[in-house]
Amino acid sequence: MRKLLFFMPLALFLALASFLFSGLFSNPMERESVTTNKPLPAFNLPDLMNPEQRWQPELLLGETFLLNVWGTWCPTCNAELSYMTELKQQGVKIVGLYYVLPADPMLGERFDLTELQLDVSNKLQQQGNPYQFNILDFERSLALDLGVSGAPETFIIDSLGIVRAHHIGDINPQVWRNKLAPIYQQWRQQDGTKP
Amino acid sequence: MIAEYGQLALTFALVLSFLLSAVPLYGSFSGNQRALLQAKPLAIGLFIFCLLAKLALVHAFLTSDFTVINVATNSSSILPWYYQITASFGSHEGSMLLWILMLAGWTALVAIFSKGLPLLMQGRILGVLGLINIGFIAFSLFMSNPFARSLPFYPVEGMDLNPLLQDFGMIIHPPLLYMGYVGFAVSFAFAIAALIGGKFDSTWARWARPWTLAAWLFLTLGIMFGSWWAYHELGWGGWWFWDPVENASFLPWLVGTALLHSLAVTEKRGTFKSWTVLLALGAFSLSLVGAFLVRSGVLVSVHSFAADPDRGIFLLVFLLLVIGGSLALYASRMNSVRSQARYQLFSREVMLWGNNVFLLTATLVVFLGTLFPLFHKELGLGTISIGEPFFNQMFYYLTIPFALLLGLGPWVRWKQQPLKPLLGPLSLIAVASLVLALGTLAAMQSVQANLALLGLLLGAWVGVSALYELYQRMSQFGSVTKGAFKLHASHYGMTIAHIGFAVLVVGVAMTKTYSVERDVRMQVNDSISLAGYNFTLLEVYPLDGPNYGGEAAEIAVHNSKGQLLTQLHAEKRFYTIQRTVMTESAVHARLSRDLYVSLGEALPGDAWALRLYVKPFVRWIWLGGLLMALGALVALLDKRYRRSGASLAAADRAEASNA
Repeated sequence: MRKLLFFMPLALFLALASFLFSGLFSNPMERESVTTNKPLPAFNLPDLMNPEQRWQPELLLGETFLLNVWGTWCPTCNAELSYMTELKQQGVKIVGLYYVLPADPMLGERFDLTELQLDVSNKLQQQGNPYQFNILDFERSLALDLGVSGAPETFIIDSLGIVRAHHIGDINPQVWRNKLAPIYQQWRQQDGTKP
Repeated sequence: MIAEYGQLALTFALVLSFLLSAVPLYGSFSGNQRALLQAKPLAIGLFIFCLLAKLALVHAFLTSDFTVINVATNSSSILPWYYQITASFGSHEGSMLLWILMLAGWTALVAIFSKGLPLLMQGRILGVLGLINIGFIAFSLFMSNPFARSLPFYPVEGMDLNPLLQDFGMIIHPPLLYMGYVGFAVSFAFAIAALIGGKFDSTWARWARPWTLAAWLFLTLGIMFGSWWAYHELGWGGWWFWDPVENASFLPWLVGTALLHSLAVTEKRGTFKSWTVLLALGAFSLSLVGAFLVRSGVLVSVHSFAADPDRGIFLLVFLLLVIGGSLALYASRMNSVRSQARYQLFSREVMLWGNNVFLLTATLVVFLGTLFPLFHKELGLGTISIGEPFFNQMFYYLTIPFALLLGLGPWVRWKQQPLKPLLGPLSLIAVASLVLALGTLAAMQSVQANLALLGLLLGAWVGVSALYELYQRMSQFGSVTKGAFKLHASHYGMTIAHIGFAVLVVGVAMTKTYSVERDVRMQVNDSISLAGYNFTLLEVYPLDGPNYGGEAAEIAVHNSKGQLLTQLHAEKRFYTIQRTVMTESAVHARLSRDLYVSLGEALPGDAWALRLYVKPFVRWIWLGGLLMALGALVALLDKRYRRSGASLAAADRAEASNA
C-alpha cells in the first residue's frame, strides 16, 4: 500500500499528460456556439434607416444569408466593411445587426437615432455598404439571444432560418475562404430545394 | 555571418550539454574520478557558448538584420536600441534562447560554487542539469531556431515589436521570471542526485536550500514586476488577472514556497524526507508544464506565443521524459525511506506541515482552475471558462487560516512546544493587531466590518507577531543589541519575508475594498472630483515619438483643500508600424494611495474619455513582494550556507547545545 502511494505522483502526471496531448490538437479559441443548428430566436425589431419597417425572423427567410453584428464604434467592424462589400457584389446576401453601445447618462449621452443614422450612412459611404438593410438591435436583445460576445461577429443563416455557423471576429479573405465560404456554399446550394 | 556564428555556438552548446550529461554521470556510476572532474569545465564551456549564441542574436537585432526572420517579425529599424535588445527575447524563439542562457548560467554557477560538495554529488547534479540543457537546446535548434534566415527574399523593414512589450517592464520581467523558473532546475537536479545516491540525510537539503532560495528570489521578483507592469501598462488598473500564464508562473512559486519550508524541516530534523524530494521535483515540473502551456497553444491567454502542434509534441515528449522519468525514479527509490524523527502535535514540524498543506491546496486550486476548462473540453463536456471570482473566493478562504498559522508558526519550537508560555505574547499580539487594524480604519474614517478590516487584522497579526518574535529571539542572547548581531541572517530573512506577506495581504484587502474608478467625459478645463481628489483636464496635445504618434493629456490633481498634488501626463499612443493603439497611463504613487489616469477615445464635441482611479494601498502589494524577495536575499547571506561540511556539523552541535 505504502509502495503504491509513491507511484501516485507518476500516475497523476501521466493522466495530465494525456489531457495535454489531446489538448494540442484542439483549438482553444473555438467555442461551440449555443445557437448553432438552432432556429433564429424570435424578435421584432425596427430597421435602422427606416424605423417604420419592422423585421421579424419570417421576413428574412428564403435565402441563405450572413447576419453581421457590427457598430460604427468598433474599428474592426469598419475594417471588414470593404471586403464584405466585395462579397455583396459576388451575390452574398448580408444583413446587418446594428449593435448599439449602451448610452452613458453620466457622459451626457442620450440615444439619438438621427445622429446614429447620419453616422452610419457616412461610414457606409466611406467604407462601402455591404448590407441589404440593417436591423437596429436597440437594447441588444437579439444579440444576447444569439450569444454574441462582442462585435464583429457573423452568423450564417440558411433559407429556413436555422443558424449554421457562428464566427467571432472579422471577416477577411482568409477567414471567408477557409471557414465561412464552404458552409455558405453548402447551404446556398440547398436554397429552394426544400419547401 | 554573425547569425550563423550564433547558430554554430548553439550547436557547440548542444554537443557540450551531451558531454556534460554523459561524462560525469558515467563517472558517478563507474567511480571514475577523471570523468567526474570534467563536469566543471564542461558546464562553464556550455555557458560560454550559450552566451555567444545570445550575443549573436542581440547583434542581429541591434544591426536590424532583417534577413533573420526573428528580427524581421519582432523588431524594426526605428525601434529604440534598448527595445531592440528586449525584442531579442520578445518572441517565442528568442525567449527560448534566453531560457537556455539562464539554464546554462545556473549550471555554470552550480559548477563554480559547489566546491564544498563531494565530487560524486557534483558529477550527478551537473549531469542531470546537462540532460535538461540537451532538451532545451535541441528544442531551440530543431523546432524554433532564432537564427533562421529568410534569404533570398527579405523585408526592408521589420514588423516592429508588439507595442505592449515596448516598456521598461518587458526589459526586466522576463529575465527575472525565467531565472526563477530555470533556477528550480537546480533544486530538481539536487533531488535527482539524492535519489540516484539513495541518501536522504539532511546534507542534501542543506545543499539545496540556498539554490532554492535564489530561484525563489528571482521568481518572486519576476511575478511582482509582471504584476506591476500589467497595472501600469494595460491601463485597467488591475494587478492580477488569474490569466492562465500568470497562473503558470504562480504554480511553481507556490510549490517553491512550500519547498523552502519543507527543506527547513528536512535539514534541521531529518524528517519529511520523501515529501521534500517530491516538492523539489514538483517545483521544476510545474515550471516545465507552465512553459508547455504558454508555448503549445493549449490555453488561451494574452501571453501565449503562436501555437504550433509540432512544438507542442516536442515539449510534451520532453515533459514525459523529464517529469515522468523523475517521478518513476522517485517511486522506485522512495519506498525504502523512513523518517525517524518524533514530534508532538504542537511543534514547529506540524506548523510547517500546515504551511505545506495550505500552499499545496492553493496550488491545487490554481492548477484545477487553470486546466479545468481543458479537462472539461477534452472529456467532451463542452467549453466552459473559470474566471476571477472562483480564484478570488478560494484564496479568500485559504488566506485566513494560512495567515493565522503564519503568525503562530515562528513561535513554536521543534519537537514540542508547551502552549502556556506562548499565551502571553500571543494575546499581546492579538490585542496589538486589533488596535492597529481599527486605528487604521478610524484614521480613514471608515470603521466597518469589511474585507479591509479582515485584511488589516490578518496583516497586523502576521506582521506584529514576526517583529515581536524577532525581538524575543534577540533578547535571548542577554541583550537585544548583542542578539541583533548573533542572530543568523536566515532568521532575519524569514522575518522580513513574513512581514512582506503581511504587507501584501493588507495591500490586497485595502485595494479591493476602497478603490474607486470612474469613466468620464472631459473637455479641457473640466474638473471632476473622485474620492476627495479633484482631477482637472489642462490640455490635450499631439505626440511625436520615435515609432509612434498619438495624443497626450495633462491632468492636474488637487486635494479637497485645493492644494495642487501633482500634474499627471497620460498618453494614448498609436504605433505606426503595428497599427496598434496603446494606453500609457499616468500614475501618481504614494504609499497610502495611487492616483491613476488613462486617456481614452476622443469624443464628439472636443471632449475626451478618461478613466480615473483612486487606489488606496495598492503599492503595498508590490512592496510586500519586494520584502519577500528581500527576505530571501538576506537569508542567502547566511554564513552557514558557505561553510564546508565539517565546520558546519561543528557549528550545528554548538547551536544544539546552546538551545
